[in-house]
Amino acid sequence: MITLDKQRGWFEQQLAAGRAHKLPQTPQWLQLAKQDAIDAAAQLPLHNRQHEAWRYTSIEGLLRTSFAGDKQAHQVDQTIVEEMMPSSLDSYRVVLVNGQFNAQLSTYGDLPPGVSLESLRTALATDPDLLATWFGSIANHSESIFSALNTALINDGLFIHIDHDVELQRPIEVIYVNISEDQQFMMHPRNLVVLQPGAKATLVERFVGATPSSYFHNNLTEISLQQNAVLKHYRLQEESRDAWHLSSIYVEQQSHSDYRGVTLAFGGAWARTEYHLDFDHEHATCGLSGLYTVGDKQLTDFHLTVKHRVADCRSREQFKGILYGEGRAVFDGHILVDKDAQRSDAQLSNDNLMLTRNAEVDTKPQLEIYADDVKCSHGTTIGRLDPQQLFYMRSRGIDEATARNMLCQGFAAEIIDQIDLQPLREHATERLVDSLKRNSQPEAGR
Amino acid sequence: MNQMKPNTMLSINNLTVDVEGKTILHGLNLEIGKGEVHAIMGPNGSGKSTLSHTLSGRDGYHVTAGEALLDGEDLLSLETEERAHRGVFLAMQYPVELPGVNNMTFMRESLNSVRRARGEEELDAVAFIKLVRAKAAEVKLDPKLLKRDVNSGFSGGEKKRNEILQMALLEPRLAILDETDSGLDIDALRIVADGINALRSPDRSIILITHYQRLLDYIEPDFVHVLSEGRIVRSGDKQLALKLEEQGYGWITGEEAAA
Repeated sequence: MITLDKQRGWFEQQLAAGRAHKLPQTPQWLQLAKQDAIDAAAQLPLHNRQHEAWRYTSIEGLLRTSFAGDKQAHQVDQTIVEEMMPSSLDSYRVVLVNGQFNAQLSTYGDLPPGVSLESLRTALATDPDLLATWFGSIANHSESIFSALNTALINDGLFIHIDHDVELQRPIEVIYVNISEDQQFMMHPRNLVVLQPGAKATLVERFVGATPSSYFHNNLTEISLQQNAVLKHYRLQEESRDAWHLSSIYVEQQSHSDYRGVTLAFGGAWARTEYHLDFDHEHATCGLSGLYTVGDKQLTDFHLTVKHRVADCRSREQFKGILYGEGRAVFDGHILVDKDAQRSDAQLSNDNLMLTRNAEVDTKPQLEIYADDVKCSHGTTIGRLDPQQLFYMRSRGIDEATARNMLCQGFAAEIIDQIDLQPLREHATERLVDSLKRNSQPEAGR
Repeated sequence: MNQMKPNTMLSINNLTVDVEGKTILHGLNLEIGKGEVHAIMGPNGSGKSTLSHTLSGRDGYHVTAGEALLDGEDLLSLETEERAHRGVFLAMQYPVELPGVNNMTFMRESLNSVRRARGEEELDAVAFIKLVRAKAAEVKLDPKLLKRDVNSGFSGGEKKRNEILQMALLEPRLAILDETDSGLDIDALRIVADGINALRSPDRSIILITHYQRLLDYIEPDFVHVLSEGRIVRSGDKQLALKLEEQGYGWITGEEAAA
């Protein structure tokens, strides 16, 4: 059982541990933001079953763990890091090792004019005023103790700013390499992505963890899309099987902007992704898609909050999960359509494929509609592989394990195919196959 | 056990099968020689599909007595995929849709599984594409369908042609065609029948399961059997099929009841 005292005590403890690794310079506005977050956290209610946002996702394991502050990147073996991040993507590549920008491994020197891509630490030193304009303007850091902790312990991350009408041809690829041989540690990367009017870009984020490595990756990303801006945002979570992972993504959209988010979650012991997206300007569109696989000793959680506050916006949310062993998944998709948000168009779906009896999913699609002229729908399915399909494939000579994997891949393809970068699609499919292989192995310890 | 004749491919002896606790096949006997085409006809509920599903190893079909030997080997103890590896092919009455599974990938995996089991080299992607294109042209299947998901959104005729294409690729020793004529218009029927005729060979035996004589106008069988209440009650040549077309099944099943 967790108690409010325990939750606050843990927060204080992490705060103390994290303070050892502070920024070289902290402008006053950032100092204020940090203090705000700390004050807000003290007022937050207990994140337990009585709290709707945490109803099915227990944070007990996290609260039982005392994490060391950010592990310094120079303590990590560079060759191991390089082995962990293979990528055939033709990209502007940025690498963060244990939450800290690593110049040696990053290759993005040939960025076109109008694009600025720098570590948060550098941005604070060189562009503090520009950063101040955007920082904290999109995220509400008082929603959970973890987003508050991210703000309070801000240490590094990325600042991406793309000028108006600049179309970036190659994707920006951010690789977070997380590795620890000895202690449990935490990191709180903080990113800010701004696309000025008419700008277009693709952002890829990969979270790679060495197993066994136990850490808490607590990531917070603020995204602002100005008028007519288009961002494709692909995320691949392949954390260590012993890791805690939390990603909070806050998106603000101006008129006629388009946000396409695809998240694939394969790793982690406890992994949660939150999307917070508000439509405050008309004629904006967003698509949020996701795929998750979970097996023994894994919990994966997706929380979506999409608010249609104004008229004529369109949102699509499509999430699919494959569960096996004793894997657990949580899906909570909430779409709000305010009374002035006429002609809103929203669709939400969550489909789950259960490969074993002992897997569990808690799925909660919610449409909350106050406008009368809207086009909204939601649907949830929980099913198993179809024996007729398996028989058909086996009657063609395909062995059962292969047939099952092909059907699972077929189920997942609808999400993976939304990634329009072929090397990334291939990589994602490989990760999926790896994950499914774990399912076909005899389960140990039973 | 019956004595196997030297040219026998499939020998079914006293096959008795239960489905959901109900006996559907009651001691069925059937001998199929190499290169022969046998038509199995019969009224609805006589056990035609039970026979095809039992031979291909579908779950839920419980063999309580009897045997089926393929080239002298006990077929019924093999897994479904092992039967396919031995050369058994079932063209289904209702080919299953596999959303998300690419038709080309599926067929390549299928062919290579069978080739591996036979100790043959697997075909690489290029060699396979060449082969499948050529075979698709033979069965007049639109090559665009190769790039789609297996059977997903295919018309009835396209699904059946896709089955025949798989048969052409796998080159089975024993092909069981379950109601392949159902749901086809006359043009589609002709194309499918041409495809099957092209696959007739001295090393390949074919079982045509059909309710109507119509298919036999296009594929001439060597033998025709009538299945009723889980047994073969009459065997003959194609003349038997014509008589059934004229007079229905009543005269045979009635005769049985009287006997």
